[in-house]
Amino acid sequence: MNGGDEQHERAIEPGFEFISPRFEEPKFPMHQVWGYAASLVLTFAALWMTVNRIMSPSVLLGVVLAMAVGQAALQLGVFMHVRESRGPAWHLVPLGLAFAIGIGLVGMSAWIMLFKSGVS
Amino acid sequence: MPALPSFVPYLIHTLFPPWVRRPTEIGAEIMMTAGGAFIVYWLLKNKKLQWLWNEWLTTVDHKKIGIMYLVAAIIMLGRGGLDALMLRTNLAMPTLHFINASEYNEVFTTHGTIMVFFMAMPLIFALFNVVVPLQIGSRDVAFPRLNAISFWLFAFAAALFNLSFVVGGSPNAGWTAYPPLTELAFNHTVGENYYFVSLLMTGIGTTITGINFLVTILRMRAPGMTFMKMPLFTWATLNTSVLILFAFPPLTIALLESLLDRVAGTTFFGLAHGGMPMMYVNLFWLFGHPEVYILVLPAFGVFSEVVATFSRKKLFGYPSMVLSMTAIMVLAYGTWVHHFFTMGAGPAVNVFFGLSTMLIAIPTGVKVFNWILTMWGGRLQFTTPMLYFLAMIPTFVIGGATGVMLGAVPADYQFHNSYFLVAHFHEVLIGGTVFGLLAGVYYWWPKMFGYKLNDHQGKWAFWLFAGGFWPTFIPQYWLGLEGMTRRMYTYPFGMGWHTLNVISTIGGFIMGAGFLVLVSNVLRSRLHREVDATGDPWDGRTLEWSIPSPAPEYNFAVIPTVDERDWWWEEKQRRQSGEKPAGPKPEDIRPIAIPKNTPVPILLGAAFFLGAFGLVFTWWPVALTGLAGVFGVLIYSWFQYDHYRILSAGEIRETEELLGRLGA
Ligand code: HEM
Ligand SMILES: [Cu+2]
Repeated sequence: MNGGDEQHERAIEPGFEFISPRFEEPKFPMHQVWGYAASLVLTFAALWMTVNRIMSPSVLLGVVLAMAVGQAALQLGVFMHVRESRGPAWHLVPLGLAFAIGIGLVGMSAWIMLFKSGVS
Repeated sequence: MPALPSFVPYLIHTLFPPWVRRPTEIGAEIMMTAGGAFIVYWLLKNKKLQWLWNEWLTTVDHKKIGIMYLVAAIIMLGRGGLDALMLRTNLAMPTLHFINASEYNEVFTTHGTIMVFFMAMPLIFALFNVVVPLQIGSRDVAFPRLNAISFWLFAFAAALFNLSFVVGGSPNAGWTAYPPLTELAFNHTVGENYYFVSLLMTGIGTTITGINFLVTILRMRAPGMTFMKMPLFTWATLNTSVLILFAFPPLTIALLESLLDRVAGTTFFGLAHGGMPMMYVNLFWLFGHPEVYILVLPAFGVFSEVVATFSRKKLFGYPSMVLSMTAIMVLAYGTWVHHFFTMGAGPAVNVFFGLSTMLIAIPTGVKVFNWILTMWGGRLQFTTPMLYFLAMIPTFVIGGATGVMLGAVPADYQFHNSYFLVAHFHEVLIGGTVFGLLAGVYYWWPKMFGYKLNDHQGKWAFWLFAGGFWPTFIPQYWLGLEGMTRRMYTYPFGMGWHTLNVISTIGGFIMGAGFLVLVSNVLRSRLHREVDATGDPWDGRTLEWSIPSPAPEYNFAVIPTVDERDWWWEEKQRRQSGEKPAGPKPEDIRPIAIPKNTPVPILLGAAFFLGAFGLVFTWWPVALTGLAGVFGVLIYSWFQYDHYRILSAGEIRETEELLGRLGA
């Protein structure tokens, strides 16, 4: 990887600044230590809240979902280095698309399963 | 006689319960044991064990992996076909109890599951592996080891699934495995465990394959091959891989949660504790509808290559072909509810998905017209692959049209789960997928093995298979309209279903004969092979035909620079006119790094198999041993450092020289 590729030297188009190259090589992976601690907290807090039923189910569902989104962001950002790349981070574009499809499928599933015929 | 230790009767009772001690099962057991023993004996006698291990079992070469997929798929086609004939025999006459109700349930379950997951999928992967790297001018797939891991996960999963027939009992809840029928309370044999565990295993392999080919196509094309210069089979592979990537996760979740319901006491899909059986159905079809396009897009890709080659013309409307295929890929994600309109989610939901279903017919129609226009004014050659293509057009058009009928919500309340549905999906799956894959096998056979399959025998197989297809499935539309529902094991006199069922059964046996002729076609063509030294027996158009058959392990001595859509076709003209030399120049040849063989994939598959077997019988120590084995193999593989051996330029030059390939 010497970055000599002509593609890497082309200027980033306006509107695409979020994919501009960035790369971090810290001496000690402090980020990861914090990320690990935070992901443990998120996991066990969710489990604890569910087992002890500390709120009404629908509120609990919302809280746990929010924590799950946080967890996913943490995994992608901290451990999978999703924003880092020596060249333009093109992978962010299909990743966004993947999120759109994923959210679409989950959303539509929720819509479909809201039916009230008592079969659930 | 000394008393047996108590675990022996327990083991016998668990592994061989009464329902696997019937004549068919015992017969199969004897045949499998005898066959296995014979193979081992033959290998030992001819000292072939070492050869088998070095050349095949530890290989990471995509061409050999493709051939192993092919062999496995043909064996599975035989097993699935045998199941089909048992089903058809039972329905030939009213109240004919050739097999009983519970056996019938098992047979239609294994038939559907094997055909979709253990026949069609591996046959597709066989073509991906054999064709795609050659077609894009690459030396291998992006991750050769992962590729071998995919194969071995599939192979061991297939073995596990088939084992259920003789050890413990087969699954019996249909290839869709809907709860609550699959819940422990209603289904306490180990059959459904086999289903969930083996599909989870092969699903891991499939997902990896999807990722592998996605990366291969995105990153490893020959210089100059822009997206709009890619051959259509490669386009089909790209779209299929994207479908796999998003379709398999919901399946994995559905299978895993069902398995947990059975082995860990959860109630995700049970009726108690707020379980939601319909959520399984939703997740299954969230996978299932993309899956039917995973099965058919590769066939579309094959047809696009076949029709252009044998019409000796460029494919008509290439950009619209690419666009329509991509549109199908996107739309395929938005139609899944048409498999359960009758759940009653309400008019808004059903109308939305009814419309999206009908929308898919448009890009599909575009493709059919383009294929027909490719033939227009071409010089047609009626080879076996071309015959399969021609046979596909009417079957797929009828299958698509009845699909649109099924997509009309009110009508579907009538058609749903009747033989009309059975006829629809067999029409598209056999008339589309299987015809396409067989066309691909005949078309690329010379690339895999260096000789063609005999065309005369191939045509016999074709006429029996495609000719038997019509009497088998067309009557089933009428049976559906007359009220016969799917998965019935028998029917009384006086329903008026008799004649049509007899015709359908006869057709089924004609197709069975077609399969036997196909197998004999393969064996006889091998015995009397006429070696093809050109590497281009069909006068092809795409990159794979520019290299010798079978391709040397490094594929391309010198990677070509692609400047045209049908690069090889144009290149041939240039070579004939003397504008270009007839092969790679010796001085352009450089050393090539070849990935080394490794036992990791097959060992990983075996460890998974052990763990999965333990899970099926909920023998936790066995399951954990398998898991430990998986980690053991992974740790072993972490400490292997040099994955490549270097093939020197001299060796490559020698090989190319021997093949008569060096240009001046
Ligand atoms: C124009 C294209 C198509 C349309 C509009 C269409 C529509 C439908 C609809 C509405 C159903 C559900 C019917 C019911 O359950 O009542 C269905 C079932 C099915 N279709 Fe299609 N389809 C099309 C093409 C295909 C293709 C290309 C394949 C596979 C290669 C396929 C395979 C299946 C299968 C396997 C089922 C039934 C699965 C089951 O219930 O076991 N279809 N189709
Ligand atoms: Cu569908």
